[in-house]
Amino acid sequence: MIRKVLPVMATLAVFAAACATPAPQQPPAPTEAPTTAPAQPTEAPAPTAAAPAQPTEAPAPTEAPAATGVDAITLSKDKPTEILFWHRYSGDAQKFVESFVEKFNAENEFGIKVTIEKIDGSYADLYSKINAAIEGGTPPNIAQAYQNQASFYRLDGNVIDLSPYIQSAKYGLSQAEIDDYYPFFLESDKNPQFPGEVLGWPTSRSAAVLYVNLDWLKELGANEPPKTLQEFEELACKASDPANERYGLAWQNDISNFAALVFANGGRVLSEDAQSYAFNSEAGVESLALLKRLFENKCAVEIPSAERFGEQNRFAAQKVLFVMASSTGLPFYADSVAKAEKPFRWTYVMFPQKDPNKPVVDIYGASWSVFKGTPEQQLASWLFLKAFTEPENIAQWAVASGYMAVRKSAAPTAIEAVKNNPRYANFPEAAEAYARLYDMVAFGAVEAPVAGYDPVRKLMSDVVSKVAIKGEGDIKAALDEAVAQANEVLKENAPKGY
Amino acid sequence: MATATSIPLSRAGRRAPPQIKLNLARTIIYLILIVVGVASVIPFVWMLLTSVKDYGDVMSLRFWPWPPLGNSTPRFDNFAEAIRLIGVDRDTGLPMFFRHILNTLLVTGIIVASSVGTSVLAAYAFAQLQFPAKGVLFILVLVTFMIPEELVLVPRAVMMNKNYLNWYNTIPAMVAPFLANAFGIFLIRQFFLQVPRELYDAARIDGAGHLRYLTSIMIPLAKPAIVTLALLEFIWTWNEFRWIQLVTASSNMRTVSVGLVGFLQTDGGAQTQLAMAVAVMVVLPIVVLYLFTQRYFTEGITTTGLKG
Repeated sequence: MIRKVLPVMATLAVFAAACATPAPQQPPAPTEAPTTAPAQPTEAPAPTAAAPAQPTEAPAPTEAPAATGVDAITLSKDKPTEILFWHRYSGDAQKFVESFVEKFNAENEFGIKVTIEKIDGSYADLYSKINAAIEGGTPPNIAQAYQNQASFYRLDGNVIDLSPYIQSAKYGLSQAEIDDYYPFFLESDKNPQFPGEVLGWPTSRSAAVLYVNLDWLKELGANEPPKTLQEFEELACKASDPANERYGLAWQNDISNFAALVFANGGRVLSEDAQSYAFNSEAGVESLALLKRLFENKCAVEIPSAERFGEQNRFAAQKVLFVMASSTGLPFYADSVAKAEKPFRWTYVMFPQKDPNKPVVDIYGASWSVFKGTPEQQLASWLFLKAFTEPENIAQWAVASGYMAVRKSAAPTAIEAVKNNPRYANFPEAAEAYARLYDMVAFGAVEAPVAGYDPVRKLMSDVVSKVAIKGEGDIKAALDEAVAQANEVLKENAPKGY
Repeated sequence: MATATSIPLSRAGRRAPPQIKLNLARTIIYLILIVVGVASVIPFVWMLLTSVKDYGDVMSLRFWPWPPLGNSTPRFDNFAEAIRLIGVDRDTGLPMFFRHILNTLLVTGIIVASSVGTSVLAAYAFAQLQFPAKGVLFILVLVTFMIPEELVLVPRAVMMNKNYLNWYNTIPAMVAPFLANAFGIFLIRQFFLQVPRELYDAARIDGAGHLRYLTSIMIPLAKPAIVTLALLEFIWTWNEFRWIQLVTASSNMRTVSVGLVGFLQTDGGAQTQLAMAVAVMVVLPIVVLYLFTQRYFTEGITTTGLKG
């Protein structure tokens, strides 16, 4: 009997193996592969694995209820509406958002019940998870998404256009409320490929800024941080002392840093009409040339992507004069400098510009997008977003998360909270920097809110690495080639007919 | 008398020390191995040292901040602080880190047991039995071995969804794809093929059937290969991130590697010493297990022709 059973069992095992995954054959991927992970994950749009690139039909405009349709929907406590919210916040931001959900669930008059789930991992991981959930027909109702990711979801109509909800007489925003938002933040969730649509709601924004060691700067004879790119380069090289492992600039090869440089040189990452990439312009060439010179002259040091936040450690240890990074790092820089062997005066400033009279600042941040659901779920999701961005809530959120408050009326509260935070007691210049951050909003620019920007970031990152850091190849030729490939990706991911 | 004391003792009572002939090629190989070995160990040492450093020492980039080179004291409380920061599982009241450990042990235990069991049975069939389409089936097994994980990740995740198996956020979803594994079948089969056929004939003469032959003779003989497979499965499962992240919804269903990534993925900055403390706690079980099974592992690698 056994003789008969054993081969059957063995054969079944073979079939099971044949149907099973080969996954364990390979060691698991590093937690954050340098090529797919944000080198500086504070806020920069997370590069992710290339999204399936298929030309897709533009979503039917009737999919979201028209304004009158939205007004016709009724939510009531008698019939609770359940929605699911995926995020990847951690620390104080996570605590705040979870406590807000708890409060919202208890107090909202519409019977909305929000379930909140933290997705451990990077923005890229969240993006993959959402795509898998979409494939399986079970996306969340709300999720954090960068503008380019929201555009990708929108290609198949998985993310909805929020404009009917914003304009709703019953559930929407008044003109005064809309005016209270910084216009740039609202604009940043629009994509020229989907005219008139709002694909996400801004909750979190920060800027690419330059962290500066003020004491060191004084030693170099400079009374204030550099305002022009020329001053920046000179100071970076003056500060560098490679023999003692001291450098002018700590460079994380995060493409938002390169984009910030392109903006500072007066260029764009994507053309205004979103028809083609534009980082091979003169501004792009000048940006890459500047970086190349900084590395060639040993004025900059690259922070490997595996060395997460290594630039903060080196800044605190006074090994680097400047760091290009997100403004969200402010509390972390404060903590690290306070704990350093020799604390020093520091701050962050607007990134130096080619023409300081016409500054352009890279401002970025994931928004909250609403996914297709029942009309009630879509409305409930909007009402949750609306409640979260009420001035008093968004002010507290800005304090907890370190992001900018997205509403003008909330900004003073956030600025005051940072000013009075004991963390900055010894760093008054840093506390003032947070207030000045809001002045930068008027000069804000978005990198590329189009689907397929993630693989393009990888292309750009490779060019910077090869040409500027390793010193190989011709600047213009490398940028042209990258733009040609990027335009292919853009074309593949554009809505049909665009 | 004089003659007795003059006998050279070295030849009579001692074994001459083995002579290692060092030539240039061998020296270069050893040097390369030493360099590679040291390079492999440095990150691990750095992780261990950082995990017990003070935040200030991390910021000051001090490699050894303790006596005799510095005045700091080792901060073993970093481990407790990291566990505290990871949070608490609201359902059980357990620190979330321990909940993650328990989940990982459960998932790893199921996968290792199942994968080893199915691999041994299938390998035996391929090595020892004759049945129709054996060659084709084996090729099919090898084909699954060659499909990149990325290709099957999303379809598999979709299968776990409520529209299909409805296993999302459950232990079955976490383990299902790994219960049988082509690599394991291949590895054990290679070992089984080396066992002389005469052993089977002798066992048959003694009245043993397939199951008795497998359990009493083949499995004991294949112990190094089986332990190697179990260890590799343990490491892979312990470190598995993407799949678990995809098919779980709540934090208290996740495993240590997902928890670790969640802890590391902060916005704006990180306390490196706490991150390293968590990393040490996550890696430690694998290191301990490897130390205990190193002998079998090495033997398994050499006898099956497996190369890393």
